[in-house]
Amino acid sequence: MPARDGIAAQCSVLDIRDYTLDYETPHGVPVQALRNVSLSIRPGRTMGLVGESGSGKTSLAWAIMRYLPANAAERSGRIELLGEDLRTKSDEEVQNLRGRRISMVFQDPGTSLNPVLRLGEQIAEALTRHRGFSAKEAREESEAWLARTGISRPADMMNRYPHEASGGEKQRVVIATAFACNPEVIIFDEPTTALDIITARQILDLFDDLHDETGVTALYISHDLGLVSRVAQDIAMIDRGEIVEQGACEEVFGRPRHEYTRGLLAAVPHPDRRIVDAAPAAAGNLLDLKGVNVSYGERKSILGFLEPKREVVRGARDVSFGVKPGEILGIVGESGSGKSTLAKVLAGLQEFEGTVEFDSRTYSRRRDIDREYRRTVQIVFQHPDASLNPRQTIGKILSRPLKLYNQLSRSEIARRIRELLRSVLLPEEYSARFPHELSGGEKQRVAIARAFAAEPQLVICDEITSSLDVSVQAAVARLLVELQQQTGTACLFITHDLNLVRQLAHRIAVMQNGDLVDLFETSQARAEERHSYTRQLLDAVPVLLDSGRQGRDS
Amino acid sequence: MSELVRSPTGMVGLALLSVVAVAVVFGSVLAPYDPQAFHPAVRLTGPSAAHWLGTDQFGRDIFSRLLTGASSTILFGVGATALGVLAGSVIGVTAGVVGGWVDSVIMRTLDGLLAVPDLLFTLLIVTFLGGGAGEAMLAVAVAFTPGMARIARSSVLSIRTREYVLAAVARDESQAYIIGQEVIPNAIGPIIVEATIRVSFAIMIGATLGFLGLGAQPPSTEWGLMVAEARQYMYRSPWVVAVPGIAIAVSALGFNLFGDALRDAFVTRGRR
Amino acid sequence: MSPAYLLRRLLAVILVLWIVTIAVFAITMVLPGNAAIMILGEYATPDQVAALEERLGLNRPAAVQYFEWLFNLLQGDLGMSLRLSLPVSEVVGSAFANSAMLAATALVTVTVVAVPLGIFAALKRGTKTDLGISFLAYTGTAMPEFVTATLLLVIFAAPGNPLLPAGGFIPPGESIAGFFHHVILPAGALSFILTAHIARQVRSEMSDVLSSDYIRAARLKGMRERRVVRGHALPNSLAPAVAVISLDIGYLLGGIIVVEEIFAWPGLGRLLILALENRDLPVIQVITLLLAMVYALTNLISDLVIAALDPRVRYE
Repeated sequence: MPARDGIAAQCSVLDIRDYTLDYETPHGVPVQALRNVSLSIRPGRTMGLVGESGSGKTSLAWAIMRYLPANAAERSGRIELLGEDLRTKSDEEVQNLRGRRISMVFQDPGTSLNPVLRLGEQIAEALTRHRGFSAKEAREESEAWLARTGISRPADMMNRYPHEASGGEKQRVVIATAFACNPEVIIFDEPTTALDIITARQILDLFDDLHDETGVTALYISHDLGLVSRVAQDIAMIDRGEIVEQGACEEVFGRPRHEYTRGLLAAVPHPDRRIVDAAPAAAGNLLDLKGVNVSYGERKSILGFLEPKREVVRGARDVSFGVKPGEILGIVGESGSGKSTLAKVLAGLQEFEGTVEFDSRTYSRRRDIDREYRRTVQIVFQHPDASLNPRQTIGKILSRPLKLYNQLSRSEIARRIRELLRSVLLPEEYSARFPHELSGGEKQRVAIARAFAAEPQLVICDEITSSLDVSVQAAVARLLVELQQQTGTACLFITHDLNLVRQLAHRIAVMQNGDLVDLFETSQARAEERHSYTRQLLDAVPVLLDSGRQGRDS
Repeated sequence: MSELVRSPTGMVGLALLSVVAVAVVFGSVLAPYDPQAFHPAVRLTGPSAAHWLGTDQFGRDIFSRLLTGASSTILFGVGATALGVLAGSVIGVTAGVVGGWVDSVIMRTLDGLLAVPDLLFTLLIVTFLGGGAGEAMLAVAVAFTPGMARIARSSVLSIRTREYVLAAVARDESQAYIIGQEVIPNAIGPIIVEATIRVSFAIMIGATLGFLGLGAQPPSTEWGLMVAEARQYMYRSPWVVAVPGIAIAVSALGFNLFGDALRDAFVTRGRR
Repeated sequence: MSPAYLLRRLLAVILVLWIVTIAVFAITMVLPGNAAIMILGEYATPDQVAALEERLGLNRPAAVQYFEWLFNLLQGDLGMSLRLSLPVSEVVGSAFANSAMLAATALVTVTVVAVPLGIFAALKRGTKTDLGISFLAYTGTAMPEFVTATLLLVIFAAPGNPLLPAGGFIPPGESIAGFFHHVILPAGALSFILTAHIARQVRSEMSDVLSSDYIRAARLKGMRERRVVRGHALPNSLAPAVAVISLDIGYLLGGIIVVEEIFAWPGLGRLLILALENRDLPVIQVITLLLAMVYALTNLISDLVIAALDPRVRYE
C-alpha cells in the first residue's frame, strides 16, 4: 500500500482530539453522547473500543463516518484522518471519502445488505464508484475479493440475493466490500454479535488474516472483552460518553487503572472462576427425559390444501437426559440446535413425543401435564421486556403464582411480594410500578422472583442473560445461583455463552441440530473424550485471561 | 397522552374533534334558527350577518341545519363503528383463541366477505333491510365486521406468542384469565386505533348512503342528505352543497388525524 | 413460482367466490323483505304474491333455490333480469366494459400521481413540501366521492359555458376525444380519495425503506444520493406500493357505484343502483359476484407482480 508507506510508525492514522457530541432534544436539554473524547490509532494497529449499551461507542463510529442525525451538535474537537480534519470536509468530500478511505462493517449482515440487489452488485458498485472501474473490471475484482474472504464459489455468490446466503456468507460479503477499495481505516461495529458461535469464530479468523495481509488500521467496536482481547492490540474503554482508559491491551486488561474497567473485567464470565458449590449428592434424578422428539411444521388445518407444503423440522430428536435435585444443568448449542425447544417441552408449552418423568410421575403428552407439575417446574424467558405483562404492576405479576398455587390471604400475599422483591435485591416500592419503569436487568430479576414465588423444584432459564449488558449479566447470574443454592432448586440453564455456563453449571449438555451430542461434568469440559462438536464450540470462544492476554483455557 | 397532544397530527385532530364534539352535543342549543323553518323570502342567499352560511332552497338557515345535523352524521359513524368493532372483536378473538379448524373456517369466510367492497356490501344489506338511518347504521356495522375481525385476530395471535402469555400458560392459568387479563388488555390498543380511523370511513359511508337516499330520510338534517337535497340548486348557489360537504370532510379528517396520532403513540411506546 | 402455487391460489380464489355466492344468496334470502312483495309493491294481494313466487320458484326451500342458481351460473346461465326482461349476461356485459374503462382510467391516474408523490414526500421528509403533501393527502382521504364529485361539477360543469360535460358517456370506438372529454370528471372524482390514500401509504413505506440499515450501509459506502435513491431505495418500495394499490382496488370498486350514479355513466354501478331500486335480484347477485371476482383476481395478480419485484418472495 504505497499510501501508507510514507507515514512514520509513530504518527496516527486516525486521531480524535477532545471531541464532544450532544444530541438536541425537543425538551431543550441536550443529551450528552460523547465528552472530550481523545483517541488515536497508529498505522496497521487494531484499536478495540469497549463499552456497554448506551456508552456512546456507536455514536463515535457515526461521528467518524460523518453520518450524524440532524439533531447532533458537535461542541468541540477534531477528527483527523492522516492529519486532515474530517469535520471541515464538505458533503461531497465526505461522500468521496466514505467507502474509499474509511469503510465500515456492520453488526447485522441480515439488515445491512439490500434485499433486492444481488450480492455481487453490492460490492461492485463500491468499486465502480471509488476506483473508477468498468462494470467488467468491478465484477472481476469483486469476485477476487469474495474469494479472499473465503467464499468457496465466488462467481455463484455474486449472483445470489442476500436471503439466499447464510449469515456468515453475508458478513463475508460485507467485509469484502469494506476492504475492496483498500481504505486506510475500517470500522468494525460488533461484526460477530449477530452470528452463531462457530461462524463468529470463522469471521474473527478472517479478520485476522485480512488484517495481516492488508495492514489496514482498524477500530473494532465491541462489548465483549474476551473477543476484543483477541483481535486488538490497543484498547479504549468507553463509559457514558467518556474514554475512561486507553492503552495497550495487556496494559488495560492486565493492570486496569480505572474502576469501570476493573468492574467490567470482574463481570466477564471466565470458566475458571466458578460461582457455584459442588452439586449436592443425590441418589435418583428429579427429572428424566426419555426419547423426547419434537417436530414442527406438520399440517393440521382441514383447509391445509390451500397452504404450501412445509418441510417438517425436527426441533428435538430422541433426546434423553436426567437432572438431579439441586443441580444446575447447562444446555448449550447454537441457534436452531433445539435447546429452546426443550425448554418449551419442559414448561408444558410444546407438543412432544416420548416421556418426561418428573418426581416419579410420568408424562407422555403435553396435555397430561398437570398443575402440580406446572407449579414445581417454572420457566424464566430470554427477553425481560416481553416476559412481563406491560399492563400489570410488578406486585400483580408476582401475586399470580401465589394466588394460583397457594391459598394465601391478602396480607400474606403482600408480605410474600415484599420478601420476593427483597430476595432479588429490588426495593419493595417496585411492587406498585409497571414493567416499563424498570431497567432490563431489574425486569429480569422480577421474572426470576416470579419463578421462585411458586417454590419450584426445577427452574428453566432460557437464555436469561443474553439480552443483558456484561455487568448486569454477571449480577443476574450470581443472583440466580444464590437463590438456587438457598432453595436447593434444580436449574436447567440454557445458554449460548460457553464461558458463563462453565462458571455456574455442574454438568453441561451440548445440542446440535436437535440432537443431544454430548453430556459431561463441567470439570471434564476439556477432556479427551469430548465430542468433536463440543471441542469446536469451546475453541471458538475467546477467553480473557487475567494477564489481559487472550488464550486457551486449560 | 402527552405525546399525542404534542404531535402536530394529534393536535390538529384533537382540535377538529373538539369542534365536532361541541356541534354534536350542543348543536341544537347553539343553532340560531329552527333548522326546519321555511323563510321563502331568503331562498338560496349567500353568507350574511343574519345567516352565517347562507340559506337553502327553502330559505332554511344552513348554519342551524349543519349544527343540528352534526349528531345524526357523527353518531352514525361512531355507532356503526362501535357495533362493527364489537362484533368483529368477538369473532376475531374467538378465531384467534380457539384456533384449529374453527379458525380456518372463520378466516376463509371472512376472506369471502372481504372480497365484496364495503360500500357494495352496505348497499346490499341496506336495500334488503329497507332504507333508513338505523338500518344504514346496522348495514355499515355488518360491513365493517369482517375487517375488524381480521385485525382483532391478528392482534390476538401476535399477543399470544408473547413470553408473558407463555408464562401464564406455563403457570397453568385458566383460559379465561389468560384471555381476559393477559391477551385482551394488550390486544385492545391496535383495535382502538383501527376503530378510530374507521369512524371516518363510517361517517363517509353514512353520508354517502344519505346522499343516495338509502340512509337518513327527510326532514333529517344529516349532512349527506343535505347535499343530495340541494344538488338541484348547486350551480346557482354552490355553498348549499359545499358547506355540508366540507363539514363531512372536516369530521372525517379529525378522526383520521387523531387515529394516526394514536397509532404513532402506540407504536413508539412499543418500540421502547 | 411453481405451478402448484398458482393452482393453489386459483383454488383459493374459487373458494372465496363460492363463499361470496353463499353470502349474496343468504342476504337476498334471509333478510326481511320478501322478494315478491318487493317486486309487486306493498299493496299486492296474497294471491298475486303466491303466483309470482310460484313463477319465480321462490316458494321452494332456500337450499334448492341456491343450488339451482349456482348450477345455472356454472353453466354460464346468469338468469333473466326481472325488470328488463333481458338475459342478465346481456345487461351486465356492456356495463362491465364501460365500468372497466372508467376504473382503468382512474387506476392509471392514481398510480401515476400517487406513487411519485408519496416517494417525493418521503425523500423530503420533515420539510415544508412533505408537510404540504401530507396535508393534502389527509384532506383527500376525508372526502367521500359524492362530495368530490359534487364540487367538481360545480367548478367544471356549471351551465352556461361548461368546461366539461356534467355526465354521460361516449364509447371510445365512436370518438376517443369524446370519451376522454366525458371520463375526466368521473375518473377525477374516483381518483381523488385513492390518490390521497395511496400517496400517504407509499410515503410511509418509502420512509421505512429510507431509514433502513441497508440504505445507511449504501450511504456509508460512499454511494451518491442519486444511486442511493434510485438503485437502493426505489426497488425496495415498489413491491409495497403494489400491495397498497391492490388493497385499495376494493375501495375503487365501491366508489365506482356512487360516481357512475352521479355522472350517469352506464356501467355496473349505475346498473346496480337501478337493480337495487327495482329489487332485480338476478342482476344484483351477478354484479356483486362480478365485482368480488375482479377484486380477488386483481389481488392475485398483484401478488404475482410483487413476486416479480421482490426476490425474497418466492411462492412455492
